[in-house]
Amino acid sequence: MAELLQLTVTGITVGMVYGLIALGFALIWKSSSVANLALGELVLISSWFTYGMLVQAKFPYWLAFPVVILFALALGWLAERLVLRPLIAQPILSLITATLGLAYFLRGIVTFIWPWSVDALPRLFPIEPVRIGPAVVSQEYIWAAVISLILFGLLTAFFRYHKMGIAMRATSDDQLAVQACGIPVTSIFSTSWMFACVVAAIGGILMSSIGGITFGLVETGLKSFSVVILGGLESFIGCIVAGPIIGLAENIGGGYLTPILWAGVKDIVPFVIIIIVLFIRPYGIFGEERIERI
Amino acid sequence: MTLPCGTPNYAYNQDMAIIRTKFHWGLFFILLVFLATFPLYGNNYWLGVSNLIGITLIAAIGLNILTGYCGQLSIGHAGFIAVGAYTSAILTGKLGLPFLVGMLCAGIVAGVIGLIFGIPSLKVKGFYLAISTIAAQFIIIWVINHWSEVTGGFMGISAPFASIAGFAFRSQASQFYLILTIAGLCVFFTKNLARTRVGRAFVAIRDNDLAAEVMGVNLFYYKLLAFFVGCFLAGIAGSLLAHWTGSISTENFTLMDSILYIGMIIIGGLGTALGPILGVVFIRLLEQGVTLLSPALQFAFPTLPSGFTTGIAPMLFGLVIILFLVFEPRGIAHRWAIFKAAYRLWPFSY
Repeated sequence: MAELLQLTVTGITVGMVYGLIALGFALIWKSSSVANLALGELVLISSWFTYGMLVQAKFPYWLAFPVVILFALALGWLAERLVLRPLIAQPILSLITATLGLAYFLRGIVTFIWPWSVDALPRLFPIEPVRIGPAVVSQEYIWAAVISLILFGLLTAFFRYHKMGIAMRATSDDQLAVQACGIPVTSIFSTSWMFACVVAAIGGILMSSIGGITFGLVETGLKSFSVVILGGLESFIGCIVAGPIIGLAENIGGGYLTPILWAGVKDIVPFVIIIIVLFIRPYGIFGEERIERI
Repeated sequence: MTLPCGTPNYAYNQDMAIIRTKFHWGLFFILLVFLATFPLYGNNYWLGVSNLIGITLIAAIGLNILTGYCGQLSIGHAGFIAVGAYTSAILTGKLGLPFLVGMLCAGIVAGVIGLIFGIPSLKVKGFYLAISTIAAQFIIIWVINHWSEVTGGFMGISAPFASIAGFAFRSQASQFYLILTIAGLCVFFTKNLARTRVGRAFVAIRDNDLAAEVMGVNLFYYKLLAFFVGCFLAGIAGSLLAHWTGSISTENFTLMDSILYIGMIIIGGLGTALGPILGVVFIRLLEQGVTLLSPALQFAFPTLPSGFTTGIAPMLFGLVIILFLVFEPRGIAHRWAIFKAAYRLWPFSY
């Protein structure tokens, strides 16, 4: 029982972070219909940058985190401006491959600057574990869940009430109409990329405070695709609901299947879910089925 | 038409011929002689490089059929190559079957696995298909890593040298001829595939699958056929890779390799017979250039960070993929076509 509760709590909290990273994907997909497969590398490089700021440059926390956010904003702007902007209105195959090229490039930069490829962030949260009933959970997980929830709330409010957020939602609906109303579509695209990078950076910091900085972070980014697929591409609610589901499936499935199958089932559960969802309900729980016309 | 001026076609089979003029035949003959005598003046190192190019070419041709002709994006190609490599290594190494049987089985098993992961392509496309093939990549590699009784797990597995009718391909030179023959057959196969009913159906599906279905193309059959053929060639390439290197592990088949394969066919030119050749040669030679030059650069400029030698290759590959997509999305093959047209009409460019 204690084991189940333990797995449940870890699953939900980690799933929140997956959901948060997936939100970064949904942001870009909604506004510009670009599938950003470089998500994992964005998570990786911003975690390493945080490491660089905190450990190598020895910045205090209050200075390091704003610098990281600025870095993420700049990264998003550059990626959109230099890679995706010239490819507007290209077929989806080119767009996907361009983000894959970006992923390759970012990974190269990471190995270039931080060749040892495994390290840990300094402790960000207090060390004492929290007891929830019989389960013992370290504070990183709780903080990750809380911060993710706060960001979900902020972003939802932003999309509902802020002018820019409304413009972004309008862009996702009909780009031509938005352009005709005088909203600069290109600046919407760069804003969505900047937002997505910030979200990925925060997700990366949370994940690496739990598990250290490794190339596993790229896999975290890829795992959040299963959140997107399960929740539905067009849906923010989908990310918030599907994130914890994936986290739960991963942890509980990993916990109980390991004795039956091989060790490390945990890593593969999200990918199996992707295949199952694509077989059964390819547009996800909250996604809208696209009706195609010739 | 890309034929020189004044080349008349009096019969349909002349119209369809791949090599038309005497000059083309001459060039083709020179190419054949060059390839056949290459082991005489290429040293072992460059023979190794060209063997790698040949193997990669077979896999890239498979991906080109799947992505370039049929338009189904696959980011799990390295996974399918791994299936072929392991099948062949297990069949020949552990069960002692002949190499040709192992290679054929490798192709068939990889093709069937490709079919399974290709089934979602009937319902979804674009990003969804990309994700399902990424999932395929991870699931395949995970299974290989953990099913250690059969595959050797993380340790990898060794494969004997290829041998046909008692002749073992031990040296780089003999393997060069084996790989060259199969790669040549594959090039010939795709060149002709594109001109058949099947190839035209693939192109119709790529351009608009809904319209193709309305025109009477059986989507179920042709999409899965594309997956089977593409992954079959991946399996053949995997088998050759296993018998060429002698030992394989999952390190050889990462997601990054899958991305690189897509990069190769995009750089070469999607949906052309020439494209994969140009793209594979370009990327593999770039790789060799980086491997040869970067230690020297590191030595000459000690201020470079220590990750320079390992980091520069992925950076360059990513950059090259992005630059090609932005500036020449139709690849080197298109540039080559432009060049050919220009020199054919020279000096009267109209």
